Amino acid sequence: MDTVITKKIEIEIFDPPMCCASGLCGPELDPELLAINDAVISIKKKYSDIASIQRYLLTSHSTTFMQTPAVFSKLQQEGTSALPITMVNGEIVAEKKYPSKQELEQLILSPSEVK
Amino acid sequence: MNFKFFSGKGGVGKTTMACATALNDSRNGLKTLIITTDPASNLADVFETEIGHKITPIAGENYLWAMEIDPDRATEEYRERIIGPMRAMMPESVIKVLEEQFNSPCTTEIASFDRFTDFMTGDSAAAEYDFDVIIFDTAPTGHTIRLLELPVDWSKHIEESAQGTGNTCIGPVASIQENKAKYDKATALLTDPQKTTFYFVLQPEETSILETRRSSAELMEIGVRNIKLIVNGLLPEEVCINDFFKSRYEMQQRHLSEIHTEFSFPIQAMYLRNREIKGITGLEHIIQGLFNENLTDSFKKLKGLSFDSFEHVTPDSDVIAKLITPDSGITKSIFFTGKGGVGKTVVSCATAVHLSNQGYKTLLLTTDPASHIGEVLGQHVDENIEKIHAFDNLFSVIIDQEKATEEYKARILQESEGKYSDDMLLAMKEELESPCTVEMAAFDKFMQYVESDAYDVVVFDTAPTGHTLRLLELPFDYSDQVGMMISTKDKKETELPESGLRLKRIMDRLKDKNQAVFAFVMYPESTPVVEAYRAMLDLKEAGIPTQFVVANQVLPPELCTNEFFMERRAMQENYLHEIRSRFNLPVAHLELFNQEIIGAEKLVAAGNILYTSDKEAFAASN
Repeated sequence: MDTVITKKIEIEIFDPPMCCASGLCGPELDPELLAINDAVISIKKKYSDIASIQRYLLTSHSTTFMQTPAVFSKLQQEGTSALPITMVNGEIVAEKKYPSKQELEQLILSPSEVK
Repeated sequence: MNFKFFSGKGGVGKTTMACATALNDSRNGLKTLIITTDPASNLADVFETEIGHKITPIAGENYLWAMEIDPDRATEEYRERIIGPMRAMMPESVIKVLEEQFNSPCTTEIASFDRFTDFMTGDSAAAEYDFDVIIFDTAPTGHTIRLLELPVDWSKHIEESAQGTGNTCIGPVASIQENKAKYDKATALLTDPQKTTFYFVLQPEETSILETRRSSAELMEIGVRNIKLIVNGLLPEEVCINDFFKSRYEMQQRHLSEIHTEFSFPIQAMYLRNREIKGITGLEHIIQGLFNENLTDSFKKLKGLSFDSFEHVTPDSDVIAKLITPDSGITKSIFFTGKGGVGKTVVSCATAVHLSNQGYKTLLLTTDPASHIGEVLGQHVDENIEKIHAFDNLFSVIIDQEKATEEYKARILQESEGKYSDDMLLAMKEELESPCTVEMAAFDKFMQYVESDAYDVVVFDTAPTGHTLRLLELPFDYSDQVGMMISTKDKKETELPESGLRLKRIMDRLKDKNQAVFAFVMYPESTPVVEAYRAMLDLKEAGIPTQFVVANQVLPPELCTNEFFMERRAMQENYLHEIRSRFNLPVAHLELFNQEIIGAEKLVAAGNILYTSDKEAFAASN
C-alpha cells in the first residue's frame, strides 16, 4: 500500500481585467491570451492527476483576489499593472506576464526549481 | 398571470396601443402593470405623469401601474452588485478599470435582459403586487427580437459553457448557472399561448408589412404562437377629400387587404387621429377603437389643435447640400441615424441617389438587421457590393449580421487551426457562440467600410438608435480595452498594436467634420424628436457632433385643406419649430408623398426636395 501522500500541485492564475479569458473578445485576437488558454487546457488534461490549474478574473472572482494576501497587496501597490500573476502552491512565480506552456510544465514536473 | 408584448418598428404607435390595452385591462378589473424596456420611453408622456424606474400607480385608476426600465440604470445596478463589495478594499485604479469594463455592450445587454426576465418569473418587486397582467411596451423590433431570442440562446450558452472552460463573456458560469432556471422559465412563458400574447403594431405600408413578416417569422421560429396584429394609422376615408390624400387612402387600403391575405393572425385596425394621443382621455378614445368598435364604424374626432396662425419653418436645403458634398480627394461618410421606422432608409437612399447623380461615386450600405434597401432601390441587394443599375455611380451593400457572425467565427477558427490543440479549438468554438461575437462581427465589418477610400461618398443607413450608438461607441470602448492590455503588459504607448492604430484612425475619421457627417432623421412628432435628441447627446458624449437633422413625412401645407389635416399639420408645425430650437442645427424637410418612396424616379425627387428646395420636384412626383 502506498503510504506517501502526494499533494497536488496547485497552479493559480490571476488574470488582468478583460471581457473574457479566451482572448476572443476584441477587435483583434490577442495571441498571448490564446496561448495561455491553450496551455491551461492541455495542462489540465495531461497532468490532471498531479496538478490543478485555476484562472481567476477580477470581475467574477473578486473575493479570491481579496483573500489571497500576496496578490491583494500587489494589487494595492501596483494596481492592475501587476497582473497577470501566476502562483504555484501559494507562491508567486510570475507576474506581469503569462508563463508559457513549457514553463508551466516545468513548474509541475520540478516544483522545487521554482525561482 | 398573463403577459402581453407590443412589438413593431418605432413610431408605429406601439406605446399608445400598449397603454390603451393596459388601461382597458385595468378597467375590466384586472390588476395591470405596464412596463417599458424602450431606452427612450415615452410612457410618461402618454400618461402625462412622472413614472421612472419604479412601479408607479397611475392617478385616478384603481388597477393600473406603470414602470420605465431605464437601461442605464439597470446596468448601473448590475455593476454595483458586483463592484460594490470591492469598493472599500480595492485600490482606486482597480475599481476604475472594473467600472470601465462595465461600459461594454455585453454588460448593457445582460443587465436589461436580466431585468426583463425578472418580471416574468416573479423575481422582481412586481411579485408582491400579484398582477393579473403585465404589459411590455418593448423596444423597437430588432432589439425586441434580440431580447426575446436571448432566453433561448442564453440557456444553451450556459449549458455549453458549463461543460467547457468555465469562461464566458457574461462572467463566471457558476453565477449564471443559478439563473439558468429563471431564463428557462422565461422562455417557457414566452412560448406558452395561454400565458403570453404578442401584438405587432404596424402601419399599412410596404416596409412595415415586410418588417412584420420578418419579425413574426423570427418569433414563430423560437416557438411563439399567440400573435395578434394591430394595423395603425389608417386614414379615415371621410377626411381624404383631395386627390393627394385619396391616393394615399387607396394605397393604405391596398396594403390593408394584403395584410389580411398574408397573415393568419387576428387583425385589428386603428384609425389615424387628428392629433397625438395623450392622457387618459386620448387613451379612452383608442380603447373605443380597439375593443368596442368594428372597422367599418365611423371615425371619431378628438379635440384638435388650433391651426389659425403659423410661422412656417423653412428648411435649410442649401446649407445641408454643402455639408453632404465631399471635398475633392477625401471620402465622406454620411451617417443617418434615428429611431427605427422614421424613414432612415428612404432618406439614405435618396441622399445616395442625389450624390451619385452629381457624379460622385457613392456606396450605400446598411447595418440594420431589418433593412429594406433592396425594396426601396428596386434591386436585390446583399452582402456583396453591387452596382445599382438605375444609376451611374451608385453601389450598395448590406451588412448581414448573421452572415457576418458566421464569417467571423469561421475566419478565427481557420486562423487557429493547427496552431492549437483540438481541445483548445473546441473551447474557442464554444466561446464564439457568445452574444458578444455578434456585436464584434458586425463591428468588424462596419470598420472595413468606414476605412474604405474606394468611394467619394459612403452613405450609412444605420440601425435603430440604441444599436447604432453601441456600434459607433465600440471603437472607443475597445480602444480603451486595447489601452488596458498594453498597460498590463507593461509596454510603451508608442508600441500600439496594429488593432489599436486602426481604431485610432477610425475614431479620428469619425470625428473629422470633413470626413464624416452625422444626421438624425425623425418625424415631426413628440417621441421621435425626444428620442433623436437624447441620442444626439449620446453621440456628442462620444465626441461626435451631429451636423444636421431631417424631418420626414412633413405634410405639404398646400394639400392640407380640411380640418383634420390642418390639425395634424398644426401638430407637425409645433414639432418642426421644436426641432429647430432644440437641435439648433440645419434642418432638411422631406414631404409626405402620396405613395411610398420606392424606385428611381421617386428617389430622385426625394433627393431634390431634401437638398435643393425644389418645390416642383414634389409636385412632379405626386
